[in-house]
Amino acid sequence: MKAMRKRHSLLDAIIDAVFSRPDTVAYPFGELQLPEGYRGAIVINPENCTGCGLCVRDCPTGALKLEKKSRDEFKLIHYPARCAYCSQCESSCVRGAIGHSNALVGATDRPRELIVVLKDKKEGED
Amino acid sequence: MDKISIPIGPHHPLLKEPLSMRIDIAGERVLGGTLRMGYVHRGIEKMTAQRTYVQDVHLIERICGICSHVHTTTFCLGVEKLLGIDVPPRAQYIRALMCELERVHSHLLWLGILSKHVGLETVFMHTWHDRELALDIMEGISGGRVSHAANQIGGVRFDLSPEQEVMVKENIGKLKAQVSGVLGVIENEPALRARTQGVAPVSADLIRDYCVVGPVARASGVDVDLRRDDPWPPYDQLDVNVITRPEGDAWARTLIRALETRESLRLCEVLLRQMPEGPVTVRAPRKVPEGEVVTRSEAPRGEVLYYLRSDGSDKPARLKVRTPTLAVLSLLPEQLSKIHVADIPVVLAGIDLCIACADR
Ligand code: SF4
Ligand code: SF4
Repeated sequence: MKAMRKRHSLLDAIIDAVFSRPDTVAYPFGELQLPEGYRGAIVINPENCTGCGLCVRDCPTGALKLEKKSRDEFKLIHYPARCAYCSQCESSCVRGAIGHSNALVGATDRPRELIVVLKDKKEGED
Repeated sequence: MDKISIPIGPHHPLLKEPLSMRIDIAGERVLGGTLRMGYVHRGIEKMTAQRTYVQDVHLIERICGICSHVHTTTFCLGVEKLLGIDVPPRAQYIRALMCELERVHSHLLWLGILSKHVGLETVFMHTWHDRELALDIMEGISGGRVSHAANQIGGVRFDLSPEQEVMVKENIGKLKAQVSGVLGVIENEPALRARTQGVAPVSADLIRDYCVVGPVARASGVDVDLRRDDPWPPYDQLDVNVITRPEGDAWARTLIRALETRESLRLCEVLLRQMPEGPVTVRAPRKVPEGEVVTRSEAPRGEVLYYLRSDGSDKPARLKVRTPTLAVLSLLPEQLSKIHVADIPVVLAGIDLCIACADR
């Protein structure tokens, strides 16, 4: 056996593999553990967003859109299917309003999920 | 014996990326071949001129799905040189750490592909399992497995927390043990040696004639590595052992990559040990002064070169990228002319093609 092991160095690895547990997760049935800093879905803290448009200017894919009527009336929209989850909007926003959560964004066949209104500010609102 | 031409590609199970080849055979002997490429040309160089420098970093990250970080690093180094800004030392160390981790995962991926082509599926499973650890480290610190979005002009986008440093150290320790197992297999496994030793040897002269770089050049005894020959900080403070082998055959190319993986893991440990404290980014102006610059880095497959010309606006006037794959590809017809039909996958896998990089 020893001589065989020496000749076939893979044998040890094969024996180990027989007795070890699988490394894969049975997603979507098993729990998927994503690291804390995983760049997932785009989220906003609406209180901090002033509609300055810095994130829209720097977004490399055009996944953000700002419909601005006035300082007090604007709409910030995110299109998840265009987004590259690159974190540029987070870096560009000086007010720390926009960023990633660590939620996985899957494919969807529901058109409603392809347009996310991050902030819809009407005149007179905070 | 009659000559037969076999068309392979652009889409073929042997290839991971589209490439078209016509291989001439007579019986079991391969007589030669011709190549056609450009199937994944996306016009990235042109597209960079239509976007701002800030946006270009993310576009350039998508030139390659394996060595994405080294591309953005080389680009950012060029822009920072034109801007005349100094990147904080901690950011330089994080950049280098990501570069080395990328080399680890790229080489392990490649070792797996080669093992699969020579019929050693077990090694394929094990190397790809180990590669997952390297990807986990990178995902843990950057938030992405492949597109790390680590670089921005002026530094890096994230810092390493003490907990993350512990996680990286632990995983690197595990990886080191696993890589030495893989090394043992490459050195001792008779099946692997039989399929690779003496297959398609390339002489050092041929390597120089075709300007081949990276592990393929080092496997033929050509001592080139930009981490030592033209280092950007912090590589100038590191002692990089450049590994070369004299044989030049498919086995040497395999062994080189396994040894380089081990060396990269050692460098990761050194980088973590020496990592200075401080900020990870400085503010960079959006408009880049007029001028041109050339920057080079050692990617997993060899030298990556970026030429950048700025006209003083916030968009580059011209960006030219040179990747290592094209030079290695031009060597392919030469290599194909000396082998048997059964060796074709070994030779193709042996040069570690990255068509997406080469076509851009
Ligand atoms: S998210 Fe930030 S950068 Fe974007 S509009 Fe709001 S405040 Fe400006
Ligand atoms: S993550 Fe990147 S692509 Fe997505 S919205 Fe932000 S800047 Fe745009």
